[in-house]
Amino acid sequence: MGVSFIPVARIGELSPGSVKEVDLGGRQVLLAFVEGKYFAFSRHCPHEEADLKAAGQFLDGTTIRCNNHSYCYDLKSGECTLPKGAAPLTVLPAEERGEEVCIRLEW
Amino acid sequence: MAYDLLIRGGRVVDGSGLPSYVADVGVKDGKVVAVGKLNDGAARVIEAAGLAVSPGFIDHHTHLDAQMLWDPYGTCEPQHGITTVVMGNCGLSLAPTRSGIEDAIVKSFVRVEAIPRFALEAGVKWNWHSYGEYLDYLEGKLGINVGGLVGHIAVRHNAMGEDAVERKATGAEVQKMRGLVLEAMEGGALGMSTNRNERHMREDGKPVASRLADDEEFFGLCDVLAERNAGVIETILGRNKIEHFEFYHELAKRTQRPVLWQSLQHRWAEPNLWREQLDAVEPIFRAGYQAYGLSHTVPLVRHFDLTNCQVFDEFPTWKNLMFLPVEVRKQAFADPATRQKMRADLASPAPTNFHRRWDIPKVEKVVKPENQKYVGKSIEQLAKMQNKDPLDAFLDLALDEDLATVFWNANNGGDWNAMGKILRSPYVLVGTSDAGAHVQFGADFGYGTILLGLWVRERQVMTLEQAIHKLTFHVASIFGLQGRGLLRPGYAADFAIFDPKTVQAHEPEWANDYPAGSKRLVQRCVGMHYTVVNGTVIHEDGRMTGDLPGQVIRGPLYRQQKAAA
Repeated sequence: MGVSFIPVARIGELSPGSVKEVDLGGRQVLLAFVEGKYFAFSRHCPHEEADLKAAGQFLDGTTIRCNNHSYCYDLKSGECTLPKGAAPLTVLPAEERGEEVCIRLEW
Repeated sequence: MAYDLLIRGGRVVDGSGLPSYVADVGVKDGKVVAVGKLNDGAARVIEAAGLAVSPGFIDHHTHLDAQMLWDPYGTCEPQHGITTVVMGNCGLSLAPTRSGIEDAIVKSFVRVEAIPRFALEAGVKWNWHSYGEYLDYLEGKLGINVGGLVGHIAVRHNAMGEDAVERKATGAEVQKMRGLVLEAMEGGALGMSTNRNERHMREDGKPVASRLADDEEFFGLCDVLAERNAGVIETILGRNKIEHFEFYHELAKRTQRPVLWQSLQHRWAEPNLWREQLDAVEPIFRAGYQAYGLSHTVPLVRHFDLTNCQVFDEFPTWKNLMFLPVEVRKQAFADPATRQKMRADLASPAPTNFHRRWDIPKVEKVVKPENQKYVGKSIEQLAKMQNKDPLDAFLDLALDEDLATVFWNANNGGDWNAMGKILRSPYVLVGTSDAGAHVQFGADFGYGTILLGLWVRERQVMTLEQAIHKLTFHVASIFGLQGRGLLRPGYAADFAIFDPKTVQAHEPEWANDYPAGSKRLVQRCVGMHYTVVNGTVIHEDGRMTGDLPGQVIRGPLYRQQKAAA
């Protein structure tokens, strides 16, 4: 059991609304900087695995829509908001620690 | 020559569901003229010994409305034995249109069907207004046969302009829409489609026009088909729960037309829903009405190892472990305390989409020869062989192979028994290929070849004859495709000629064959040797011949009018 903070970007590296591809333990993750907050989430939509780097569209500060079949996810919780109850998007906690943005992993 | 084409010695699977038999098939002027032991000469002979010869498959759920304008084959439909397609599903068609509403239609296609705007702008020239004119435009330019449904979205924009995405229609506007639907049916539409799915927005974020229709409008348009006793009603209402079946019953009873609803499939998250849906739809048929559920043949399968695995992301400890550096992850997997947390995750009462069953995931590939004996075994079986707890057996095997062991898991469509019952049901219409849509995210042209390869050959959930019936005459009957779907004298010479021992779809791959040089996913196939449309070979062992024998298939009102004239 333990906790890790894995740095994935420097503060200021991402411009507002931009997305960075991150490899985290061999998994593809997207780090987004939206409305002053960082969000980390799986690169692939849980519905049919569309690549959210291409298909993802931010609707507001906390919602991303996959433009393949218009499934929408809350980036804070990963919950599928449209349609409700579908498989959630995998999200990871992103935190600013000093000069870096880190992903917090606890197990 | 007696025949233009003779297919010699194949096993005829005629589409009826009756037992197959070995016979020659003679073709003249685009139609089957003889089936049996044939001795007369032919301009071309295909030796088909060892192969199955069936009617060409009919893909009833496509969005090829645009693609057919630049790709006469609807690639990759023929590569999978498909000779006829139906466009215009889910409320979306490129007609009827009028000056000023074209972009409203494009906005809907771009978002709902994820077709790139630049491809539509480059490929669709809007050389028509009415639905009949749209079909006229396709005449003579087709490699496969094409029919279509008129989409509620285009009809509503035609009657209401941009107000179609803002408000309820007036009585006068509903009357105008009814006129447009009738005109489309008389122009050759095979029916009407509508869309009330809450996910379906336009490119600008507004709901697609048909979502603003109330029941009065919707039933009013469907009544046009009822009054003329013609056409199917295809729906995507976002209503597949049991409480919604009263609506389908009412619609089917009121119109007495075949109603199609989406969708029915096996999902571990709701493992009994499919059974409840079939139970709910049966009384509709028993009462004498038709409400077919659409189902897919392509299971949502994951092949994974524990270096890159998202199968368990719904469980917090598992998820975080899967993002750790691999060496740290291996140490954690070996730690009894971490295993206890993982076990607790799986036992938590929170609902998940993952099935939490160790009898479903299987060992697919191993690294070490001594582990070969575990290949094909479920984790539950592995645990019994090793006399361990399943979680321990799963993690120990992966650790023993440096996390390189490949496992298999299926979410949707993973229960063979359930899939067999779904696919065999007479109330289920097989196939939601969505061909022509979501072109950069997926490709399911091979729903038919997957049915034949996976479900018939490998899983044996149905016979070849049953599967061919589902891909051909079952569809032709529901959609009223006269003279198609059976391999009998007098029927169109549309054939799929394939090897039942090898036929199977490949994984999708990228191609650069869309307008404006854009990329999309295509899907190839093995074992489909010939595809024949109206007596002409269009596809031969992966190669297209370049011939364009396809026809526009028009619906019953058009045929009646033509006959009367």
